[in-house]
Amino acid sequence: MARRSMFLRILWKLLGASRGRLTVALIALTSGAAVCSALLNVNLDAERKLTQEFRTLGANIVIAPPTGSSEAALADAGVLDRIAALRIPQIVATAPYLYVAANSGSQPVILAGTWFDQVAKMNSWWKLEGGWVSSRDDHEHCLVGFTAARQLGLAPGSSVHLRSGDHNISLTVAGIVTTGGAEDNQILTNLDSAQALAGLSGRVGLVQISVSGTPAEIERVTRTLADNLPGLEVRPVRQIAAAEGTILGRIRGLIFWTIALILVLSLLGVLASMAALAMERRRDVGLMKALGGTVPRIMRLFLAEAGTLGAVGGMLGFLIGVVLARWIGEGIFGVVISARFEVLPITIALTVGVALAGAFPLRLLGRVRPADILRGE
Amino acid sequence: MFLRIVSDSFTRKPRRKVLTAAALALGMAVATATLEVALDVGDRLAREFRSLGANLLVTPASDTLPLEIGGVDYRPVDAGAYLSAGDLGKLKTIFWRNNIMGFAPFLDVPVAIASSGSQEISDAELIGTWYSHSVPVPDGSAFTTGVSATDPWWHVDGRWFSDTSEEGVAGAALAQRLNLRAGNKVKIDAGGHSHTLTITGIVSTGGREDNSVLAPLAIAQDLAGRPGQYRRLLVSALTKPADAFSERDPATMTAVEYDRWYCSPYISSISHQIQQQLPGVEVRAIRQVAEGEGRILTRVSGLMWIVTIAALFAAALAVGATSATTVLERRSEIGLMKALGASRRAVGAFFVAEQLFLAMVGGVLGYALGFVLARALGIGIFGVAPALRWILLPIVLVLAAVVALLGSLLPLGRASRVDPAPVLRGE
Repeated sequence: MARRSMFLRILWKLLGASRGRLTVALIALTSGAAVCSALLNVNLDAERKLTQEFRTLGANIVIAPPTGSSEAALADAGVLDRIAALRIPQIVATAPYLYVAANSGSQPVILAGTWFDQVAKMNSWWKLEGGWVSSRDDHEHCLVGFTAARQLGLAPGSSVHLRSGDHNISLTVAGIVTTGGAEDNQILTNLDSAQALAGLSGRVGLVQISVSGTPAEIERVTRTLADNLPGLEVRPVRQIAAAEGTILGRIRGLIFWTIALILVLSLLGVLASMAALAMERRRDVGLMKALGGTVPRIMRLFLAEAGTLGAVGGMLGFLIGVVLARWIGEGIFGVVISARFEVLPITIALTVGVALAGAFPLRLLGRVRPADILRGE
Repeated sequence: MFLRIVSDSFTRKPRRKVLTAAALALGMAVATATLEVALDVGDRLAREFRSLGANLLVTPASDTLPLEIGGVDYRPVDAGAYLSAGDLGKLKTIFWRNNIMGFAPFLDVPVAIASSGSQEISDAELIGTWYSHSVPVPDGSAFTTGVSATDPWWHVDGRWFSDTSEEGVAGAALAQRLNLRAGNKVKIDAGGHSHTLTITGIVSTGGREDNSVLAPLAIAQDLAGRPGQYRRLLVSALTKPADAFSERDPATMTAVEYDRWYCSPYISSISHQIQQQLPGVEVRAIRQVAEGEGRILTRVSGLMWIVTIAALFAAALAVGATSATTVLERRSEIGLMKALGASRRAVGAFFVAEQLFLAMVGGVLGYALGFVLARALGIGIFGVAPALRWILLPIVLVLAAVVALLGSLLPLGRASRVDPAPVLRGE
């Protein structure tokens, strides 16, 4: 017991005595820890946010009747309700589509019926001029693609009359969309109106689904859907997935290497301070050895000192890192990054590791000869 | 005299100086490496994004409204306008020709297809395009391109067709329906023309191509009776993320602004340049790809700069700490100099000169080391080494000088105020 309290007392004095040197080492450790903790916090959330960005690039699963089948439509009450009943948490949006070949006057045009609230979640790149169609029950308004509007001479507010077979429908243009895709050539309206025009009530042509998660999770969701929807083709959209995987991998690599480099630099700062400290402490060590201190005990003191420094630096650094991460999150990603407490033990472990490694110069003090030191060399 | 003292201090106790220079070199190496990678990362990631495929769609300006369901155009073949494939070489003459990574023209023909050896004739679609086609460019060179650039995620089991042979690639669903395998021959009929193609592979794209046959553009042109023509063109271009400036109408820009816009690889300026070169076309950005890429690139660039600043800050701190501790060692030297009558200013000037010299040496070494480190990082992360940028050398030297001076300033200030007597005594 007396030994333990003596140990702690000497440790406390050591920490207090070389305050100047140790402050520099502490600053190096804290800043290294702060930057690493900030980057680790941001990295975990950044990946999630970037994955979400990739989700807004469109659907990644398409459900359609088997290709080549003559039955061109499938029941909607069945499919959409069955998908909802599966309660898959990763599904971000589910949008059904029904396409009808119609005529506006003498000009043939495709009318696409869908659910606009779901489409808005999936297709962030659509540029809208005018107003959106707000609810699924709105049977009067439609959106017109940019090219179709030009060919048919339509603008927000004008009305368009469409005819398909025996059915007629009159719609008011709520807005013009520019998508850079097939929708530019189409008129878009609510699913019910399209079904009414085609005389195919209760049916859809295909369903687009946007699923969030890693490629493995998306794979699993695809299989779950395929298993639960027999007779229908569940296809992954490959275009986005491949690029997404590569790009996220690169970003992860970048952050990993930066953290490694920053830790190396912290180590450098700590090494420099400890080397200077070692110079100062030669006399103290000589004295301790002359008084009977064994080398292992002395080394344990120094290591405990470095460890304490590392722990304190790690904790302080983590707190600063959380503030930094929040600031980065809001600045770059426009999202609030919450502190992740699993980063705390990692940061402390890394910082203590760096501190112990940096204490290496102090180990050289073990070889000090008390006689030389006491003589004044 | 001043110079003699400075040079003497380097020859007398070199060890501590070497330590400072080494720390400076290491710190500046990291700074250089992160700066090089950060400057390069935007370009590298933009290239990665080209794996998303084409971001520009070129169609005839005077075209009728396409009737597309699921990517299939249901217009009668006679309806609509066509473009001349002979003009496509001009795409590599625009200002941003080096950013045109690839392009592929498409001509779709509804055909009757029968597997050889079978009497059953089915209706299908033949998509005429290029896989790896050599396009003559007006300046005399040739550019090889095709769907390998515009749709890189298309996966073929077997091999792609050769643009000059009677070959084709069958979509996975069609192949399953007609029981086709690589090596089979199919007979294609349309509008009075007939071709027998060897299927060299089965392609699965996840789109409408799974129900079609892809064949060289020349064969589709013959079947459709439209020699030398195509209907739409996909272009994959390396672009800079769009911002408010790039979205403006060029007609409203002043001459200076127009130059700046024209000389930046925005998707809007590249579209404009293509429209100037190819007659009778309308160029549209495939917003799904262009927008998404732009948004993600902007976010990642922002993150990269934060990471770079963090690394620079850590480097500065490490170097500063090293400077600080080495100056603290020299208290007895400072005491001696003051006792000999040196003014505080002279002592300060001496140390500044020393630190500056160390900073130069450490900075140059650090830049060289940093280049090696940047190469390793670049190859490790992107598979490609970043280009050497000489402009970083003066920047790194200035950074090294600033950091070394700042690091030594505080302890220097404190040390020079110290009373010489106790220091000389040995305390």
